[in-house]
Amino acid sequence: MRLRSFQRGLRIGAIAFAILTYLILIGLPTRLGVVAMPVLALLTALIFWVALRGGKSKQALAYRAPAPLLLTGATAGLVAGLLTAALIAGFARLLAAGVNVQPYLDKIVPMNIAALYGVMPGAVVTGDLPAWSWLWQAILLTLAGIVGVLLVLSERALRQRTWSTGGTLRWLTILLPFILLTFVIWLGNPDVTLGGNNRGTLRLLAAMAAIGSALFALRAARPGREQRVLALLLLLGLAYLPFTLDQFQNSVMGIVFIFVMMGLGLNIVVGFAGLLDLGYVAFFAIGAYVYAFLSAPFASPAFSALLTSLGIPADGPLISFWAAIPITMLTAGLGGVLLGIPVLRLRGDYLAIVTLGFGEIIRLFMLNMSDLTNGPRGLLNVAPPYLFGYSLGNPRDIFILALLGAGVIAFAAYRLDGSRLGRAWIAMREDEDVAQATGVNLVQTKLLAFAIGALFAGLAGQLYAARQTNIFPDNFTLFVSVDTLSLVIVGGMGSIPGVVLGALALKGLPEVLRGIDEYRIVTFAALLVVMMIVRPEGILPSTRRRRELHDIGGPASESAALEPALPSDYRTLDGGKP
Amino acid sequence: MLVLDQIHTYYDRIHALKGVSLTVERGEIVTLIGSNGAGKTTTLRTISGLLKPRAGNILLEGAPIDELPAHEITRLGISQSPEGRRIFARLTVEENLEMGAFARSDKAGIRQDMARVLELFPRLRERLHQRGGTLSGGEQQMLAMGRALMSRPRLLLLDEPSMGLAPLLVEQIFQIIRNINEQGVTILLVEQNAHVALSIAHRAYVMETGAIVLAGPAADVLASPQVREAYLGG
Repeated sequence: MRLRSFQRGLRIGAIAFAILTYLILIGLPTRLGVVAMPVLALLTALIFWVALRGGKSKQALAYRAPAPLLLTGATAGLVAGLLTAALIAGFARLLAAGVNVQPYLDKIVPMNIAALYGVMPGAVVTGDLPAWSWLWQAILLTLAGIVGVLLVLSERALRQRTWSTGGTLRWLTILLPFILLTFVIWLGNPDVTLGGNNRGTLRLLAAMAAIGSALFALRAARPGREQRVLALLLLLGLAYLPFTLDQFQNSVMGIVFIFVMMGLGLNIVVGFAGLLDLGYVAFFAIGAYVYAFLSAPFASPAFSALLTSLGIPADGPLISFWAAIPITMLTAGLGGVLLGIPVLRLRGDYLAIVTLGFGEIIRLFMLNMSDLTNGPRGLLNVAPPYLFGYSLGNPRDIFILALLGAGVIAFAAYRLDGSRLGRAWIAMREDEDVAQATGVNLVQTKLLAFAIGALFAGLAGQLYAARQTNIFPDNFTLFVSVDTLSLVIVGGMGSIPGVVLGALALKGLPEVLRGIDEYRIVTFAALLVVMMIVRPEGILPSTRRRRELHDIGGPASESAALEPALPSDYRTLDGGKP
Repeated sequence: MLVLDQIHTYYDRIHALKGVSLTVERGEIVTLIGSNGAGKTTTLRTISGLLKPRAGNILLEGAPIDELPAHEITRLGISQSPEGRRIFARLTVEENLEMGAFARSDKAGIRQDMARVLELFPRLRERLHQRGGTLSGGEQQMLAMGRALMSRPRLLLLDEPSMGLAPLLVEQIFQIIRNINEQGVTILLVEQNAHVALSIAHRAYVMETGAIVLAGPAADVLASPQVREAYLGG
């Protein structure tokens, strides 16, 4: 038993080392500067946590005794630590021997590797840092391994007591967003030097962590007054964010929340109704272009000519941003119905392929209808929103508008989830025939899913056009659909807070880590694969989805009088026995 | 109550039902027996509107229903417990039952029916918050029947309730079917297990390759040499 725990530790340590080396090679430590060390140590602890809890076979690990677990964790930490230290020492030796390593490293890494965990091999050679400082690395990582064990143990303790019954951890979860918010505001003080050149990045990261942790805090709060008060306080904190962040930070947050709006809409189609829509970008594009026509008719040759012939001046916006909202939304919704009608009878893979085509058709239409859409040259000078004569086009105001839009959509989605229509969607997702036999009008239910999803994407598109002020067909490629779908899946299909978290992770983080942007697709793929294995229900799943994928309802009946169910009747997605 | 008059149903070009006529009177248990592929399930799916007949009439209390979409037929009081149960595997037992009452909006009545169903199937009460998919085959059959009852149907269509169940459990299920009927629900029962079906039914129809070949009181059908030889092993 002890030997097996040790072997497990060796394996986990080696994997952690591989991941860390990858992160170091893509330049993550240099992006984080001074805070690289604690952030990476924390990350390592998280890796150990995930590895130690044993992913899918949660039950198997949940009852492993603390002592062997500790052996595994400490071994893993030590192995990762020694390997990393050896790597640093190796570089130090090479540098000391006069080998110029940097040019070779530059060929394989986007940025220099110097800030390996904050300990620079070069600094060791020149004597600026004592030679034993690389030992610090090994100790730190061993500690990370032990922290990983503690995380597993506390998770287990939490699980046994259930999440909402109290305890210090619950209060910590509730307080965490406020702590992070304070940190964000404190970092905004020009006298603070923490993070050096990377202070802005750190601040953005903290702001995103604050929003993310707020979602967990809401779930940790007891339903009822506690939750309501907390929600109010968190909203106040959230409302303050745009006013404390700088231009760049606000602009990143703006795009994140535009994607939250999109994600919430797609979540209705895919998460609630189970219709796999890969052409969702079409409605986003429709929203953007319709608003562009309305606010900058002069940009479109055919449209402005038509208006002039009708005696309507085409040299300025036809209507305001606010008056355009119902028009763009309804047009996008109509697009949703138009897509819905031909695919009414399609399911699963076929539906995905047809919707994929639809998204591309809309983009190609924008690209090739030069008279109307100006083709690849795009529509320029789209008007930003105005309020009482003030332009709301700057990043801060766009962020506020995106927050408001996402809030309204989230509320609508929340109400829909609990409604009759929401139940019809679930039934349809599970079994179309039976849903129909229980009285669900399939045609109406399906079209409503497509139309409501499209309405929200239309609104997001309009805001996007107002933010960019210039839009091109290239803004609306398949990748927008893929990104949106990914964030819905990563966050947790069917989960409203999950969408926010998914958008932060998949749209926000790449902005923070501009350096690894080239690796975005790889990161996506890796993240999705890991997610699907470790947590198929998403990071922050809806309670129903979590129940669907993990047997929370308890094991199957063991009664001798009743024989096992027919396996062909249904699928169990967790691969478990019915 | 229900009249099928010369129904012809096709799967594309395959002529599945070749002029099926049958009647179900109020308060009866009528059973439709026959071998695999005789068209029993097709008949039920045609009645419930999931398939459209190409010719013939279906009348419910004298009004034609063959043109109506499935969800409207449910609202008229015909409810189906489908072949292979087809419960919502990822919803809880309770949610499955609530889904059965989807077409209704009388909250008090739904609560009443929920209590009635749980009384008929006490096992379901024990499993109320468990996923449907974690139930055993027998429990799933009970859930499928319970779900069908939740729409408070006048006519209940049961498709192969004995499928894949142990003999002891089949007996239990059929006892419950009789109870449901005694509570005033008319039942059209499709079965391959002819013996049990004929033992609780009032009248029976025998189907072969898309057509009715024999009809009459269940006792007579049970006694007919033809049926004894074909379905009851002599």
